[in-house]
Amino acid sequence: MTNVSRRPNELRDDLPQHLGAVGEPGPPNEVRLQVRTLAFRRAARMLKAAGARFVTLFLADTPEPGLVGAFALRGSLVVLRAPMEGSEPLTYGSLGEIWPAARWAEQELAERHGVHPLGASVDGKLTAPDADRLDRAVHGLDAFVIPYGPVRSGVFEAIQFQIETGGETVERLQTRPFFKHRGMEQRFVGLPPDRAVYVAERVAGIATVAYASAFSQAVERAVGVQPARGAERWRAVYAELERLACHFDVIAKEAETTALYVGQARFQILKEQVTRLRARLTGSRFARGVIVPGGVRFAGRMSLDELCGVLDDIEDQLVRDRRLFLGTPSMTDRLIGAGRLSRELIEDYGAVGPLARGSGVSTDARHERPYGDYRRLGLQVITHREGDAMARVNVRFGELFESLRILRQAIDHLRRGDGELRQPLPADATGAAFGWAEAPQGELVVWVELRDGLVHQVHLASPSLRNWALFDHAFPKDVLTDFAFIEHSFGLTPAGADR
Amino acid sequence: MTVVYAVAMGALVLGAGMALWVPRAGALCSAAGCVLLVIVGVDAAVGGARPVLELGGWIGFGDSALRADGVAGVFLALTGLTGAGVAFAYAGSPAGRWLTCLAGTLVLWVAVSIGSDNAFLFFLAWEALTVCVYLIASAGRNREDLLAGYLTGGLAKIGGGALLAAFGLLYAHTHTFSLQTWADASLPAGTRGVTFALFLTCFATKIGVLPLQGGLPAGYGAAPRLGAASLSVALCAGFYGLWRFEFAILGPLPVWCGDAMLILGAVTALVGIVYALTQDSMRRFLGYSTVEHAGVVLVGLGVALLGQSAHQPILAAAGLLAATLHVCAHNLAKTLALITVDRVEQATGSRTLDPLGGLARSLPLSAAALGISALTLAAIPPLGGFVSEWFTFEALLQGFRMPTLLSRLLCALAAAALALTAGLGLLAFAKFYSAIFLGQTRGQLAKVREPTRWPGGLVGLGVVLLFLGTVAPWEIHAIGSGLQALLGLDLAHTTISHPLVLTPVFTGFSVLAPTWLSITLPAYALLAIVTVRLMRGSTVRAHPVRRAPVWVTGSAAELAMVQYRPSAYSNPMRVILRGPLGYRSRLVAEDRDGEAELRRFRLQTSVVLAIDRFLYAPLAGAVLRASALVRRIQSGRLSIYLLYMLVALILALSLVPILR
Amino acid sequence: MLGWLIRGLRQGRITTRYPRGEERPPQGFRGQVEVVDITNGTGDLAALCPTGAISVDPRGHVSLDRGRCILCGECVLAAPHRFRFAPQYETAARSRAALVVSGDEASLAPPPREALGVVTPALRRSIHVRHIDCGSDGTEEWEIQALWNPYYDIQRLGFFLTNAPRHADILLVTGGVTAPMRAPLERTWEVMPSPKALIAVGTDACSGGLAAETGTIAGGVDHVLPVDVYIPGSPPAPIAIMHGLLAAVGLLDVAEAVA
Repeated sequence: MTNVSRRPNELRDDLPQHLGAVGEPGPPNEVRLQVRTLAFRRAARMLKAAGARFVTLFLADTPEPGLVGAFALRGSLVVLRAPMEGSEPLTYGSLGEIWPAARWAEQELAERHGVHPLGASVDGKLTAPDADRLDRAVHGLDAFVIPYGPVRSGVFEAIQFQIETGGETVERLQTRPFFKHRGMEQRFVGLPPDRAVYVAERVAGIATVAYASAFSQAVERAVGVQPARGAERWRAVYAELERLACHFDVIAKEAETTALYVGQARFQILKEQVTRLRARLTGSRFARGVIVPGGVRFAGRMSLDELCGVLDDIEDQLVRDRRLFLGTPSMTDRLIGAGRLSRELIEDYGAVGPLARGSGVSTDARHERPYGDYRRLGLQVITHREGDAMARVNVRFGELFESLRILRQAIDHLRRGDGELRQPLPADATGAAFGWAEAPQGELVVWVELRDGLVHQVHLASPSLRNWALFDHAFPKDVLTDFAFIEHSFGLTPAGADR
Repeated sequence: MTVVYAVAMGALVLGAGMALWVPRAGALCSAAGCVLLVIVGVDAAVGGARPVLELGGWIGFGDSALRADGVAGVFLALTGLTGAGVAFAYAGSPAGRWLTCLAGTLVLWVAVSIGSDNAFLFFLAWEALTVCVYLIASAGRNREDLLAGYLTGGLAKIGGGALLAAFGLLYAHTHTFSLQTWADASLPAGTRGVTFALFLTCFATKIGVLPLQGGLPAGYGAAPRLGAASLSVALCAGFYGLWRFEFAILGPLPVWCGDAMLILGAVTALVGIVYALTQDSMRRFLGYSTVEHAGVVLVGLGVALLGQSAHQPILAAAGLLAATLHVCAHNLAKTLALITVDRVEQATGSRTLDPLGGLARSLPLSAAALGISALTLAAIPPLGGFVSEWFTFEALLQGFRMPTLLSRLLCALAAAALALTAGLGLLAFAKFYSAIFLGQTRGQLAKVREPTRWPGGLVGLGVVLLFLGTVAPWEIHAIGSGLQALLGLDLAHTTISHPLVLTPVFTGFSVLAPTWLSITLPAYALLAIVTVRLMRGSTVRAHPVRRAPVWVTGSAAELAMVQYRPSAYSNPMRVILRGPLGYRSRLVAEDRDGEAELRRFRLQTSVVLAIDRFLYAPLAGAVLRASALVRRIQSGRLSIYLLYMLVALILALSLVPILR
Repeated sequence: MLGWLIRGLRQGRITTRYPRGEERPPQGFRGQVEVVDITNGTGDLAALCPTGAISVDPRGHVSLDRGRCILCGECVLAAPHRFRFAPQYETAARSRAALVVSGDEASLAPPPREALGVVTPALRRSIHVRHIDCGSDGTEEWEIQALWNPYYDIQRLGFFLTNAPRHADILLVTGGVTAPMRAPLERTWEVMPSPKALIAVGTDACSGGLAAETGTIAGGVDHVLPVDVYIPGSPPAPIAIMHGLLAAVGLLDVAEAVA
C-alpha cells in the first residue's frame, strides 16, 4: 500500500518521456501532458497498452483551444492535450478504431464541433437521432426491426433501441441516445460556480449529489480550495444515500419485470424510505440545493442518532428482503446468465460502475482516486466475476451493505463535530481542473474551466453514456424477453447520457 | 341408382378424355360426374340402394365389380365433394389440358379404387393413381420441383410394392382376390400382423404418416397450381384403404397393431404440426398440416382397432366414428385451402408467405374461404373440425376400457400429444392466415385484385364446410349407417340422443350440441355488435370516431419494416425445439469492407428435420454407395455382360434342384 | 413465495390517506416558494433567481412565477423577509397564469378543456395514465413511478398506468420538449382518444426550467400542446403529482373522491 501514494509521481515523471509529451503542472491525481495532434493517437495507443481506461475526449478552450483526452491510469487521470496548431483545422488520428470506448466520444466531437478524426467516416446520427429513421442492417427471411422507444412502455426516460430480431433472438441492437439532449453543458457557461451547481444537480437528477459533488470538486481543484472537512462528510452521507436509492430502484425494477410484486413493493418501500430520509435531512427528496463549491450550504436537519436509527431499520429490512430475493428461483433464474459481458469487452469500452464490477473489473472512483471524505473512509470494492445480470444485481446488494457501513462511519466522524461547512471561493478566480465522483451508475468525470470567477466551460463524461455504448453487445445469447432484465441491470439514466 | 353410378363413372371417363381437347368442358363433365358420385355415395351410406357395376372377369383375376356399399358410400361421397370442388376450380380457371386431364383421371381412379370389390382391380386403380400423382407432382418446371416429384413418386412406388406383397400374402392364404372372401377368411395372427404392417406402409405413403410423410408436402409444394388440390383428393383413397383393409378385412388384429397405430398417429400429428410451423411455402405448410391430421385420424383408428381386438364394438365405433368424421372435415377443408392458396398465388405471384400480408381487403372472397378452412383445420367451434377432434378426444378418454395397461397408457399419452398438437395447430393456422391476409400490405401487394375467375369450387366447398358443424348430427347419422356393416351396431342410436345433441357413442359420458353452438356463437357475436351500436349512440355524438396512425412507441417508422415476419412468428417455437428441429441460425456480414455501423448482415436460419437427418440422409447415402459398388461391375463390354448372364443362368438352374 | 407473502402481510398498512386525510411534508420541506411581501421590490430581487422566475414591475410589485421556480432557495437565503419555503404538497394549477403569484389573480385565463370527470362522469373512477419523457432530468420519472408504490398506491383512487396511448385518458409529460421528442409527443397525443387531459409534470415541463435558455428545448410543453394541469416543482413530490391528477379529473373536491 505504500506504493500507492508514490504512483502518481512516478507517472508524472516517467510518462512524458514514454509518450513523447511535455509535462504540465496540474492538481493532484491529474497528470497533464501536452502532445502534438498527430502524435495524439500514438500516445493514446501506448496508454491503452499500459492498461489505461478511456474516460473522455473533448475540445477544451484553455490555455489554447485543443483536443483533450482523459484516461484513467493507476490512480491518476492522465490528461493528453493536443493544442490546435495555428489556424489549421484540428486533425487527429481516430482513436475509435483502436479503442471502441472512444467511438461515441469521437462521433459526438465530429457531429457537434465538426472535428473529424482521420481514417474514420462519421455520419451525423448519434447526437441528432431521428425516431422514424431505422437503419436496418440485418436482412433475411425472419429478420425484422422492433423500434423500442423513444416513448417506452412504463414510466421510463426517453431513449430508443433499434432491435433487429428473428422473432425471438436479438440479432443486432442499436442504442440511440440523445433524444433528450438539453444542452446542459452550455447552460453552465457564464454562471458563478455557486449557481452553476444548480445546473449540475439537474443534469441527471437521480444522481444529483454525484453531479453536484463532482462539479464542486472540479471547481475546488481548479481554484485550489480545500473544502471544509465537515462538508466533505455530509457530501459522503448524501452520496451514499443516493447510491442506496438508485440500487433499490434497480432491484425493484428487476422484481417488477419478473412480476414478483411483493419483492417489488418491498424494494420500492426501501427506496421511498431513503427518499423521505433525504427530504427530512435537506428539505428536498433528492438532496438538492445542499452541495455547493466550497462545501455544503447547511448541515443535515436531523439528529445523528435519529439518522442512525433509520439506517439500522433499513439495514434490518434489507437483510430479510435480500435473503428472500436471492431465495426466489423464479427471480434469480431470469438473471443468471442473462446479458453476459466479458471482462475484455468491459475493458475495451472503458465501462464503469456496477456494470464493470459485475464482470470482475474492480474500478471505483472512490477507491482509484479517493476524493473528499473517502480518503478517510475505508472502502471495500465489491466485484463479481460472472458478468451476467445476476452478478450486477449481486454487486448492488453488496454495495448496499457497504454503503450502509460507510454511512455509519461518516456519521461517526460527524459526531466529532461538523466544524466549518463552507469555504469561500476566491473571487474572480481562474483555473481549470477535472473533478470526479462515483455516481451510482459509475464514475462521473467533470471538466470545469473558470475565468474571472465565472464558469467558462464544462465537459461532463457521464457514466451512463460510456456504459450504454456496451449495451449493443449485451445480448450474446439472449432473447427478447431478457431485454428488460438486462436493461435494468445496467441501471443507467438517459438524462445523464444525453446531458 | 346403378344407372346413376354408371353415368357418374362414365362422366368421369368422358371428362378426363374431353379435357385433352376442351379443358373447361372436360372439367365441367368431371364435376358433373363428381356430383353424381356424391348422390350415389350418400344414398349408399344412409342405407338406400347399394348399386353394383359388374365388370365380369375380364381383368383375369376373378370376377370384379364396382360396389358402393356403406363404407364405400361415405368415401365416394367425400371423393365426389372434394373432386367436384377441384373440378369446378379447374373449370373456372383452366390450368392446361394435360393437368386437367390428369386431375379428372385421378378422381376416376380414386372412385374405382373405392368401389372395387376385387383386390386386383384395387391394385390396378392404386397403381394408376400413383402414376397420376407422380405425373402431377413432377409437372413443375424447375429442378427442385422435379426432385420433389421424384420423391413423391418414389415413395408411392414403395407403397405400391408393399400393397403387392400384402395382396400376395393374402392370395397365398385364400387363393382368391375377392375382398369379400378375404374378409370372411380366418387368417393366422402372424399373417394378420405382417399384412397389417404392409398395408400401413402402403397407405402411409399416400396420407403422409411418419416416417413416409415426405412425399406429401413435397408433392403439394411442387405440383403446378391446382395440382396440389387434386393431390388432396387422392388422400381419400389412402384413408379408404385403411378402413377397408386394416379394419374391415384384417380385423380383429392383434393388440400391438392398435398400440402401434396410436403411437404412430400421435407422433405423426405432433411432428407434422411442428414442421408445418417452420414452413414458409404455403403449400408445404398445408402438406405438413395434412401430415398432422393424418396422425389425428390414425389415433382415432388406433382406438377403433384396439376396441375391435378387445371385442368391444362400442369402443371400436367411438374410434372409427371420430376418425371418419375427421377425414371428412380435413379433406374438405384442405381441398378448399389448396384451391384458395392457388387463387392467392395467381393474384400475387408468390408461393411463399414471406412477401404477403394484408390481403384481406383486396382478396375478400379468398380471405373468407381460407378463414373457414383454417378454422376447420385448427378445430375451432362451431365448425366441423372441432366436432371431429372432440370426438377423437372423447374416444381417447375411453382409454380406461382398453384391454391392456400399455394401451391404456398409450391412450393417455396420445391424448396429451393431441392436446399439444391442437394448441400448436391453432398457433400455426393463426400464423398462416394472418401472414397472408392480416396486417399491413407490403409494397406491390396494394394493387392486387381478386382474380376474375368463377369461384364455383371455392364457394361450394366453403358452404359445405360452414354447415358441416351445423349439420353434424345428420352427418353422423349418414356415417353411422354407412359404417353399420363394419361395426355391427347402429351408431346413430347411441350417438344422437336428441336431434341436436351428440354423445360420443358411450351415452352419459359427455355431450356436445354443435348445431346449437353454430347458432348461438354467431348470435352472441351479433348481440355484442348490436349492443355496442345501441349503447354508443350518445358517446359517438360527443366524440366522433377518429382514425389515428398505428402506434409504434412514438416512432413513425415504416410499418412494413417493423411488422412481425411470418417466419419470425414461428422463431420462438424453433428456438425452443432447437434440438429436434435441427434449427441453426447465424448472422453473416455481407459487406466486409464497410464501417461496422454501415454493414449489411444476413440472418441465415435453417431447419434440418430430424427425420431427414437421421433417416433419409443415411438411407440416401447408403443407396448411393451401393449403386457406386454396383457400377464397378458395369464395364460396358458386351462379352462381360454375356458372362454375367451365363453365371446368373447357372446359379438359377442350380437353385432348382437345391430347393426341390 | 410464502416468505414474500408473509413479509408483505407483516408490513401492515403504510399507504397515505391522501386525499381523504392530510399528508404532511417533513419540517423544512421545499414544497413551493411563498412571497411574504410583494410590495416595494427592487430590481436586484429579479437577479436573485437563476431561472428568472422573479420579476418586479415599475410600481415595485414583486411577482413570482412558480412555473419557472426550481426551488433552489437562492431567494429565500438572500431575502428571507420577502420569500420563504412553504412545506406544502398541493402545488398544481389548472392554468399557467395561476402559477404566477402577483397579488392580482383576477384575470385568470380558463383552462383549455373541462376536467375529464366533468366531461364524462363515467371516467371518474377509472383513469388510465400514459407518461412521456420529453427531456426531464430523470427525477420526475422516479416520482411518477413512486405513485404506484405502497406508500402512495394511486390505484386505490382508480388511476392505472397503461403502455398504450390508445387506452390512455391522461398524458403525463415531463421535460421541456427537446427537438427529437417533439414529433413523438405530438404523435402520442394524437393517438389518445377524447376526452383526454395533458399534465405538465415538473418545472421543466411547465417552462423549461433551467434548460429553457439553452435553445435546445421548446421551453415548456404548452409551446407544443395545450396543457390542462401544471404541476410545478423540481421535481414535484408524488403527492403533488397525485394532486395534479385529481385536478385533471375534477376530483379535487375531496368528498367526491372518497364517495
